[in-house]
Amino acid sequence: MKFMRNAIAILRKDVLLEIRGKESLSLMLFLSLLFLVIFNFALDIDKDNISSLAPGILWVIFTFSGILGMGRTSMAERDEEAYLSVIFSPASAESFYIGKVLSNFLFLILMEGFTLLLFAILFDFEKIIGLLPKLAPSLFLGTLGFSLVGTLFSFLATASRHGEVLMPFLYLPIVIPIILGGVSSMSIILNENLVEGTGKWLQILVIFDILYLSLSLLLFRYLIEE
Amino acid sequence: MNLIELKGIKKQYHAKTALDGIDMIIREGDLITIFGPNGAGKTTLLKTISGIMSPTEGEIFYNNKVYSKSDIKKETFYLGHKTSLYNALTVLENIDFICRLFSLNHRGEAVENILREHGLWERRKDPVNELSQGTKKRLALAKGFFINPKVFILDEPFTGLDLRWRTSILSKIKGLKGQRKSLILSTHLVEEGYELADYVAFLHKGRFLFIKKKEEVAIDEIYGLFHSLGEILK
Repeated sequence: MKFMRNAIAILRKDVLLEIRGKESLSLMLFLSLLFLVIFNFALDIDKDNISSLAPGILWVIFTFSGILGMGRTSMAERDEEAYLSVIFSPASAESFYIGKVLSNFLFLILMEGFTLLLFAILFDFEKIIGLLPKLAPSLFLGTLGFSLVGTLFSFLATASRHGEVLMPFLYLPIVIPIILGGVSSMSIILNENLVEGTGKWLQILVIFDILYLSLSLLLFRYLIEE
Repeated sequence: MNLIELKGIKKQYHAKTALDGIDMIIREGDLITIFGPNGAGKTTLLKTISGIMSPTEGEIFYNNKVYSKSDIKKETFYLGHKTSLYNALTVLENIDFICRLFSLNHRGEAVENILREHGLWERRKDPVNELSQGTKKRLALAKGFFINPKVFILDEPFTGLDLRWRTSILSKIKGLKGQRKSLILSTHLVEEGYELADYVAFLHKGRFLFIKKKEEVAIDEIYGLFHSLGEILK
């Protein structure tokens, strides 16, 4: 109970920080808009190929906007060593981690919703909105895995001077299973309109989410204590 | 009763030795002032005691047991050179966040009182990044007095404060003595640090030149050391 209360307090604080500072979600939304505009001009997308191109385009946007946004939520903790106010409190390192995961997850989901909506408008692809209930499980699990590892790595990255530059190189190889799961599930749903075929990928996403959660919980304490 | 005990603490940053065999005992209710020139290792020592840094060698005991970083952090208020405040949040939102973590009443009179005592009530709706460095420091200290932990570790707490607030913080720290709180502080301000202390220590090149009861050290001796090391701040 106390664990979750502390995690929620951290989530609440991050939402307030976003409202006041507009540094994480706003940046993600801007970047995803920019990506969509570039893809719109650069790629020859039509009704025949949009279903096969959409998963790749969308996950590229989710990935890079996400990395940037999660980096910013961690930077807010490092500025003025603000994270020490959590470390020197009864809140455990684990509740701190879960709170940060929740806020990153919330911002990522909002960014993804915005991106999907804009994608549907820009590429005249309303079908994707209608398929949202079918896409939701893989998006949920993918985003969760993404924020579980991203929270850990963005904290690690902000601890060093060149961390933000190194972050994609460290982070992307680790989240490849999540990106593959996300892209493949979305591709099956958009191209075949089948939810059944995504079962294998959803299982993979669940397994990796559990793995990432367990490892990150172990490592986060070490990371902030050292 | 020994609250914190350091035995043979060494801290190495690559080739540089920041702490070189520190032995120290902090008892319940002790107020220890650590003096020393820039680069003496004061901040490293305070960060090591508070568990932010790990020593390269040596042992730390807390409540006579082998020290667990998470245990000491739960009972300590640490104020370093940075204020540990969220810059984009307002004064009240920073306090509110701390109240939630410490399960304190964030709407109570206590919040108003502590902010008024530190001259921050009128600025409660201002974002921290609009405050001066001195005001931020007051807010950071107010947070510490509000959560009222067992141990206070303050690194240069008077920096950036004008005379009025320095005097006010000084009297608050004195008030902690009566509550059996332990306090370790580092400062360049000899008179303030000396006035507060039960014990005074002088750190130079990672070693204590002395750590003694205040009665055993004359204030001039401390000034003399600063002079001989070419550094004096009044």
